Amino acid sequence: MAALNDWQERLEETALEPVRRTGRRFWAVVVTLVAIIGWGVYAYIVQLRDGLVVTGMRDRISWGLYIATFVFFIGISHAGTLISAILRVSNARWRTPVTRMAEFVTVVALICGASFVIIDLGRPDRLLNVFIYGRWQSPIIWDVLAITTYLTASVTYLFVPMIPDLALFRDRLADRSSRWRGWLYRTLAIGWHDRPAQRRSLGSAIGVLMILIIPIAVSVHTVVSWIFAMTMRVPWDSALFGAFFVAGAIFSGIAILIIVMAILRRAYHLEEYVTEKHFVYLGYLMAAFAAIMIYANISELLVHGYKLREGVEFHFRQLFLNEFAPLFWFYLLGGLIAPIVIALVPATRNVGGMVAAAVLVTLAMWIERYFIVVTGLRVPLMPYEPASYAPTWVEWSLLAAGLAAFALLITVFTKLFPIIAVWEVAEDHEATVANAGAAIPTVAIPAVDGPRLAEEGGR
Amino acid sequence: MKAITRRSTRIVAGLLAGCAILVAFAGPTIASHVHVSVATVDEVAIGETVAIPVALRGTDGSPLAGTVVTFYLHMAFAGVEGEAEIGRVVTDDSGVASLTYRPRLAGHHELRIEYLAAGAAEVETTSAVIEVTGGAQLYRSPAGVDVPGVGVELLMVVLATVWTILFWVVLRIVAIARAGGEAGEVGLEARR
Amino acid sequence: MFHDHPSDQRASADRTPGDSAAATPQASGSGFGRRGFLRVLGLGALSVVPLPLVSELIRGESGDAEAEPVHGQGAAARTRDGRIRQWTMIIDLRACDGCQSTGQPPRCTAACIEGHFAPEPMEWMQVFEADLAGGGTQFIPTPCQQCQNPPCVNVCPVAATFSTPEGTVLIDQERCIGCRICMAACPYDRRFFNWGNAPVPPEAFLADYSPEHQVPAKKGTVMKCDFCPDMARTGTLPYCVQGCPQNAIWYGDLEEDIATNGREIQSASRLLSESSAYRLKEDLGTEPRVHYIPGHGEAAGRDAFEPGRLPTEWPWMERAEGAVTWRR
Repeated sequence: MAALNDWQERLEETALEPVRRTGRRFWAVVVTLVAIIGWGVYAYIVQLRDGLVVTGMRDRISWGLYIATFVFFIGISHAGTLISAILRVSNARWRTPVTRMAEFVTVVALICGASFVIIDLGRPDRLLNVFIYGRWQSPIIWDVLAITTYLTASVTYLFVPMIPDLALFRDRLADRSSRWRGWLYRTLAIGWHDRPAQRRSLGSAIGVLMILIIPIAVSVHTVVSWIFAMTMRVPWDSALFGAFFVAGAIFSGIAILIIVMAILRRAYHLEEYVTEKHFVYLGYLMAAFAAIMIYANISELLVHGYKLREGVEFHFRQLFLNEFAPLFWFYLLGGLIAPIVIALVPATRNVGGMVAAAVLVTLAMWIERYFIVVTGLRVPLMPYEPASYAPTWVEWSLLAAGLAAFALLITVFTKLFPIIAVWEVAEDHEATVANAGAAIPTVAIPAVDGPRLAEEGGR
Repeated sequence: MKAITRRSTRIVAGLLAGCAILVAFAGPTIASHVHVSVATVDEVAIGETVAIPVALRGTDGSPLAGTVVTFYLHMAFAGVEGEAEIGRVVTDDSGVASLTYRPRLAGHHELRIEYLAAGAAEVETTSAVIEVTGGAQLYRSPAGVDVPGVGVELLMVVLATVWTILFWVVLRIVAIARAGGEAGEVGLEARR
Repeated sequence: MFHDHPSDQRASADRTPGDSAAATPQASGSGFGRRGFLRVLGLGALSVVPLPLVSELIRGESGDAEAEPVHGQGAAARTRDGRIRQWTMIIDLRACDGCQSTGQPPRCTAACIEGHFAPEPMEWMQVFEADLAGGGTQFIPTPCQQCQNPPCVNVCPVAATFSTPEGTVLIDQERCIGCRICMAACPYDRRFFNWGNAPVPPEAFLADYSPEHQVPAKKGTVMKCDFCPDMARTGTLPYCVQGCPQNAIWYGDLEEDIATNGREIQSASRLLSESSAYRLKEDLGTEPRVHYIPGHGEAAGRDAFEPGRLPTEWPWMERAEGAVTWRR
């Protein structure tokens, strides 16, 4: 009992530590990120003043870095769904230390992704037209609907399992923290006192959400892919796009999650809870999805390449041999083959190896979105010379600002909210300890259809 | 030589001229052995078709088969006026060429009908009058398939379902808040 | 919506007074009756009654022959007997030599640019040069194909591009949000974006913008060939038709079945059928209103192996204020 209480104490202290103490390194990171975002704001002001002519996009290649980054961020947002929802549904116990970070990443990625669509608009001042005059038949409206629904569901799915931990913060930080923070936790904890009625409500809410959010997430990236697949551009006109994009989204989501986990683990000393096992398991999942992506690519490329209808030959040349060959082969070898190799080779099957694989995958998946957009538009529609596209400083600045905003939001979150799902981790630990038949006298845990805080069993 | 007097030359020339004149005038009559008749065309409305039969017979009354009959209509559009061909039919064994005509503008129209009979030197013309009454829009855009129920309605049903469930979850959160709200300090003391 | 569970009786404060009790006790967790569920379903459905649907119900179907024009375009052009015209264009490639014989850039493009103040580098009527089997080339003047199953209209999120009762496709630059999905969707490369500040010709300072008269152009929106609807309605031929020195472009009405190239007049259906007219990218199913009669300018005396045409110019831009240009 004492050992369990000690373990519990250590867990809670670890969760509370980031909120209690803020070091110089944190402020250095924040200042840097804010500076990058500031530069991005300046670039956007230039774009608003002079028009989209300051980008590299033109009539022939009318979408570029912005839309590629939008698709990339929406893809990353599938991290939360996979880890949190799918692993929760399948009751994989190892997910518990990771769920909170995954849900953070989802919400932040959706916000950043939506921003990039707005940045890409020629008339952002007319954004409300989308809501006033929206046409149900348009893929962009489907996109707006899906992302709004997914954002709402994700915020809810982030908040609901966090309620018990927010209550923990409310209780333990009441004396130490400032007035506004106390108010924040009191409000957000919505009077959680671990009552049975509350536990039941929480359990049913989580149960419904975890099932509901899976089809919502699948629909989101399917609908994003249909922005391309509902046109008649040769590389985009494919029935496979929906599944292809969803697989790619989950794939890139796992990679980003590994990276975020590694950084936060190092920064906030979570080594005891986020172990090498977690990185390896996620690495296996990533390798599995890499295999799915290879299959999808073969399916797409072989089916079109075997016949070489008009436009496909041009596309294959630009992709495999000419202008986009370096990007494509890096994506294939570094982004799809390498993670599988790294996961299979025992020497690299560790935290460092998985993080390296994740970095490769993240880079490769952004590159893949980029060349899907640009090569799709580059295939000539009429007899003219194919155009070329190169992003300008405005586009690169806004990309940097978007990534910085992503990092900043996550950083700020970690200073305000518990980065680890304390009650879930504790519950998992208890179960593990009980199963291992430890000598610590614990109350037998009855089967209850709701969550339980460890305090109930430990006393 | 003296037998061919000037007088006789003149007579012969006059006879030849007279024959020439006679032939000149009678030529067409002699060549035009075609008798054409166009049946009166009923009044027709836009959207309907009407048959305009043209019967060609030789003077001997036998039907003229295999003759091309061309129909023209005077049109005006965007400041340009002129005659446009609207049909070409070949007479059949009974000497009748019938144009199946679908008028495209209401009003009083006069069609000009041309035909060149075999053996004739020139094209001959006749006419027909058609009264066309106004009608409904003829041309329809070809695109689109309407499957009832599969469309916007389906999207709405799916959206309504999803948002209803999300609403329900929000109500669960409200339930949590309420279940803890009236308790005061009870829960906090239990934890200490 | 919430009611007492027996296990909660220990704290009377757990009861939530004032709530109407549900009809029957539920299993663990929900505490939620059928009535409550229906109430929630109603609220949920309310979330879906969208502003767009409401305004559409009020507006009526766009493209309907009897509907009020909603984008500021004029009344539908009609025949003498009151039926709505269905504009079409028939381009006789036998007569088009890319204006090689005139020694100038293509006159159809030039007339369109001058008449509409199309900003550089937009060529709403663009003369492409395509390779022929055997090695020669042909010129293909390509306006907006005015599709009847238009990919651009299908994907527009705000109905800024729309089909008119006459079958043409117009753009309302006051509504366009500049998302450019229509440009990705158009398979004929016929839509152009105002990437920078739109130049304003001096004649157009006082012009009233309308989708049928796209002057002055607006930054951040899309433009294209509109079949000159404001002119066609009054019985004037479009700029490109008037500008062609070979009278290679025919403008017509499929409702009255009539077409003219400015010199002759013909029945449109007969002209199309007897000249083996075809449409571009027929297999895509866009059902364009622009037809082509196969040829390579032979009627204008062009040899198929004589390549090249002069590059397009935008002379009016020199008179315009704030003219920013870009490459295509």
